[in-house]
Amino acid sequence: MTAPATTAPRPMSVRLLGLLLAGAAVSVALGVYGKVHDPTGEQPYTLFFTGTINLKVWFATVAILLAALQLLLAARLYGKISIPKKSPPWLGDAHRLTGTLAFLVSLPVAYHCLWALGFQSTDTRVVLHSLFGCFFYGVFTVKVLSVRLHGLPDWLLPAVGGVTFAALVGLWTTSSLWFITSRPAGIPLL
Amino acid sequence: MLKRIVMGAEVLALLAIAVFVVMLFANEPEGAGGGGSGGGPGTEVFSANCARCHGADGGGGIGPRLAGGAVVDAYPDAADEVAVVTDGKSGGMPSFDGRLSEQEIDQVVEYTRTL
Repeated sequence: MTAPATTAPRPMSVRLLGLLLAGAAVSVALGVYGKVHDPTGEQPYTLFFTGTINLKVWFATVAILLAALQLLLAARLYGKISIPKKSPPWLGDAHRLTGTLAFLVSLPVAYHCLWALGFQSTDTRVVLHSLFGCFFYGVFTVKVLSVRLHGLPDWLLPAVGGVTFAALVGLWTTSSLWFITSRPAGIPLL
Repeated sequence: MLKRIVMGAEVLALLAIAVFVVMLFANEPEGAGGGGSGGGPGTEVFSANCARCHGADGGGGIGPRLAGGAVVDAYPDAADEVAVVTDGKSGGMPSFDGRLSEQEIDQVVEYTRTL
């Protein structure tokens, strides 16, 4: 008796479960860190803004604009929109670049949220923001892995991309938009 | 050309993730976890409940600046500040009624007025 020479490819359901678990692990890890870590309340970087919070508001706004651009590029890649009429060859690279840049810009924001503020539950907006934050990086992990892994259903990548964008919109709405429209009196916008 | 830029950005993103994780665990501020030095009982209440919005030194953040006499200027009567901490205020200041005792609120108000 000899063992079969070829290894059967993992079934799709196993790959999907692995993806889901990887995303969940990232979300839970961020949530646990935010809850367990002692928030420092410090403002470690401001660049040319008046405070770290102001920096975060505008970095998050840049991130969501880049993500919106990435969504439009994806819509063109999938033929959901037809502008420009002829799809340029660099469209895929531009899609990847905008996503990577959006992620990079989001990191200083997430770092301050986790390190200085932690997972908070003072009111509904803050709870939602904390949950969206953890969820966003989990679903982003799933999206990145979905691009790299083969043999996944065709609908998965656009679906996960849409959910990632929706999570970012939730994240931005409960923080930057709130700050821009309802910040306490005396707090500068920039 | 664009492919190279994409590759460079992705390598940068991987490095940034590594730095992000390391800094989360390695970058502990001075005096973190302690009650501060030379502060009264309000110091710990402040660190645990107020610092995340008003800044570790009361210098402001999501919430307005308290230090440098700012809170005394805004509320010359400490009882008014106690009322804001207890009941909250529109614009994001949450109510601490039920989360902090009256004594803790008095202590933290007293502390903020020394910043």
